Amino acid sequence: MEDNGDDSLYPIAILIDELKNEDVALRLNSVKRLATIALALGEERTRKELLPFLNESNDDEDEVLLAMAEELGKFVPYVGGPQHAAALLVPLESLSVVEETVVRDKAVESLSKVGAELPEQTVAEAFIPLVKRLATGEWFTARVSSCGLFATAYPRATAPLRAELRSLFGQLCHDETPMVRRAAAQNLGKFAETVEPEHISRELIPLFQDLTTDEQDSVRLLAVEACGPLARLLTKEDSVASVLPVVQKFAQDKSWRVRYNVAQQLYQLCEALGPELSRTELVPAFVKLLRDTEAEVRVAAAAKVSAFCKLLNNEAVISAVLPCVKDLAADSSQYVRSALASVVMELAPVLGKAATIDHLLPVFLSLLKDEFPDVRLNIISKLDQVNQVIGIDLLAQSLLPAIEELADDKHWRVRLAIIEYIPLLANQLGAEFFEEKLGPQCMKWLEDQVYSIREAATHNLQKLAKEFGQDWAKDHLVPQVLGMIHNPHYLYRMTILVAIAALAPVVSQDVLCNLMLPEVVKCARDKVPNIKFNVAKMLERLIPLVDSSVVEQTIQPCLLELNEDPDMDVKFFAKQALARCGEGVTVQ
Amino acid sequence: MSDLDRWIEQLKNCEPLKESEVKVLCEKAMEILVEESNVQRVDAPVTICGDIHGQFYDLKELFKVGGDCPQTNYLFMGDFVDRGFYSVETFLLLLALKVRYPDRITLIRGNHESRQITQVYGFYDECLRKYGSVNVWRYCTDIFDYLSLSALIDNRIFCVHGGLSPTITTVDQIRTIDRKQEVPHDGAMCDLLWSDPEIRTIDRKQEVPHDGAMCDLLWSDPEDIEGWGLSPRGAGYLFGGDICANFNSTNKLELICRAHQLVMEGFKWMFSEQLVTVWSAPNYCYRCGNVAAILELDENLSKNFKVFEAAPQETRGVPAKKAAPDYFL
Repeated sequence: MEDNGDDSLYPIAILIDELKNEDVALRLNSVKRLATIALALGEERTRKELLPFLNESNDDEDEVLLAMAEELGKFVPYVGGPQHAAALLVPLESLSVVEETVVRDKAVESLSKVGAELPEQTVAEAFIPLVKRLATGEWFTARVSSCGLFATAYPRATAPLRAELRSLFGQLCHDETPMVRRAAAQNLGKFAETVEPEHISRELIPLFQDLTTDEQDSVRLLAVEACGPLARLLTKEDSVASVLPVVQKFAQDKSWRVRYNVAQQLYQLCEALGPELSRTELVPAFVKLLRDTEAEVRVAAAAKVSAFCKLLNNEAVISAVLPCVKDLAADSSQYVRSALASVVMELAPVLGKAATIDHLLPVFLSLLKDEFPDVRLNIISKLDQVNQVIGIDLLAQSLLPAIEELADDKHWRVRLAIIEYIPLLANQLGAEFFEEKLGPQCMKWLEDQVYSIREAATHNLQKLAKEFGQDWAKDHLVPQVLGMIHNPHYLYRMTILVAIAALAPVVSQDVLCNLMLPEVVKCARDKVPNIKFNVAKMLERLIPLVDSSVVEQTIQPCLLELNEDPDMDVKFFAKQALARCGEGVTVQ
Repeated sequence: MSDLDRWIEQLKNCEPLKESEVKVLCEKAMEILVEESNVQRVDAPVTICGDIHGQFYDLKELFKVGGDCPQTNYLFMGDFVDRGFYSVETFLLLLALKVRYPDRITLIRGNHESRQITQVYGFYDECLRKYGSVNVWRYCTDIFDYLSLSALIDNRIFCVHGGLSPTITTVDQIRTIDRKQEVPHDGAMCDLLWSDPEIRTIDRKQEVPHDGAMCDLLWSDPEDIEGWGLSPRGAGYLFGGDICANFNSTNKLELICRAHQLVMEGFKWMFSEQLVTVWSAPNYCYRCGNVAAILELDENLSKNFKVFEAAPQETRGVPAKKAAPDYFL
């Protein structure tokens, strides 16, 4: 590029030079900034110089081509807007036929973007001929790429061209290369959304049926994904006549990968068909998938149990689905049980109280005792949905023993999940019942082996005090907590200090100043420095909660003493707290 | 908030510091470490940890179980770097904590805190990859030379990365080593970092140790043998129960605490509870399937092992596991 003497263009000149550099990294960097180069060159030179240059550079490393394919998709403004955008079709077309799939996919994506912006005339003159060229290309890569462009081309084509495009798509669905049929199957749904209803049922449905009977399971697999979109586009009668039998057959396909995809798609289809038809026609297919011989299929189906059941009525769920759920709860694969555990609680509102108690409780209880911690965790995190349905009395009778057992679970993350659930449980159980059932456990967590549990236990106490009020906290939390301050292990004394600081804002002034503060101050004489500097930290948190007289008479003297400690951390935190004590205090 | 507090927060998120910041951090660390003894005095209570090996998210898991520094006091017995994905972040976090709270955390040297070893087992490459130059590796390996060789808790518990050395009978002999150098190939310093304890009985006369005290402290492993044996590692020695018992009684110790060897249960007692191995890298190299442990000593030296597992996948940052492509289904 010639030097026009303008310094501001110098970096651009470097970028342009680097487009031809031998080092891939430099070329890549330049290609990723093609927009900057184009902006500097201006629209005309971009069309006349940059694009022809890029047309000749399509022999590069895949990484560079991928970046180029992506950049060109955003290039319409740089070549002079839609009326000049046809110039972009040439480089993108050649990128859409290369060997590497990711480059082709990106080129197709960019072609669709550019194609959508083209004016009518250019579509007819350049874009549709391009689609036709690719669709009839000699090498399969071109034909694969063409499949992704029909949805862009079709809505903007004239009636005769539309007929031609439909027939071309039909050819692709019957292509001798499985890769092409796969691409056609994959794009069938998207294409169908642009085609007129009368042509869907007359032309596309037969194609769909052919793809669903393809000898390659990888083609059938992708055809499954068109079921949902097609069912939505067709009238209910047409769906029942042409899509439903296909799905029912797929659910028994000999390839488990196809069945796996059906399990994923079935819920969408139910939505399209409506509850009535789902009940009569799809339940048997779903039940088969829940009882599939492959664990992967059962995982996919189990994860949809609740969503599926919400479309059904109570009786259908109880008679058809629940027996499977019971079996899945005892499945040999932990992943199946885990998938079930993550959704099974949502069945409670669907079933209602009586049926939940009769049928679901045993399932919950068995999953709560599962040997695999993820299963237990999944159940615990959704317990509230059951509370709303069966009420607190029954929950207490049946689930509380299990919760009490999990409170001592050997996995600390399970214990953590239980602690996080406690405030909600407290709210539902009421003070008296809570105290009786779970009060002692809440204290026990303060002495847990794992730091994160002790920390969570202190937050829990604060939430309980907020829930049940100052008076309750004074009787049921404060004495117990203060009683633990003399633990022989420094880490446990520290937890108690943190618990006191957590309770401080939610108890009365009387309790704070006359019961808690003296204990904290006593800890300032602890022999372990870690306790002493935590006293300083905790006192700092108490300062805004008490009268200035208390600060002056109790907190400040204690901090001044800590400020003289030989340990530098104790000194540091004491000094920091003293700075908060307010005016009139001089700190050395 | 001071720079140092900010760096600690940043490192806790597994974000490495800038090269210029590493330089400053290492200069500050050097001022502190140069004052420490070869046998660093540590007061109980303290929590003792073994190898970490760049498993940053498992180190965070360790803190979740043991408590955060400075609330909990820690002693790390070396091998902070190599093998895992995050040696840079792991070592810099521990070093930043050391500079911020020198009395709350003690770091001693492991056999991987060495220029030679880190060039083979990953730390060098990681620095090069993350910073584009080897400066950070150079700053860190310079700091390694200043790390203490061992620690003595309340004069009762001797902590070292590897084990004992035939050239060392008293703790005071360790104090005379000039430690500020690359780990030598033999001698007491090497042995301390490289030796292992051994249970098999071997011929006492077979192996007469030679060489200075410096090599062995870092390499030796305790094993159930009598006397000394050749180490299959090629550095340090194997030492038997009698050697361990003699060392403990000569120095009035109740226990030797060391790391250096993977133990599937996280910790392992040997020689009638005169020695314990502590290992703190769960699922070592992301594949061994072992649990990890730390040893919590309270102010009365009561011992409590905390066993923990690798951090669950969802608490780890990148590199996250890629979803299986469709064709695997």
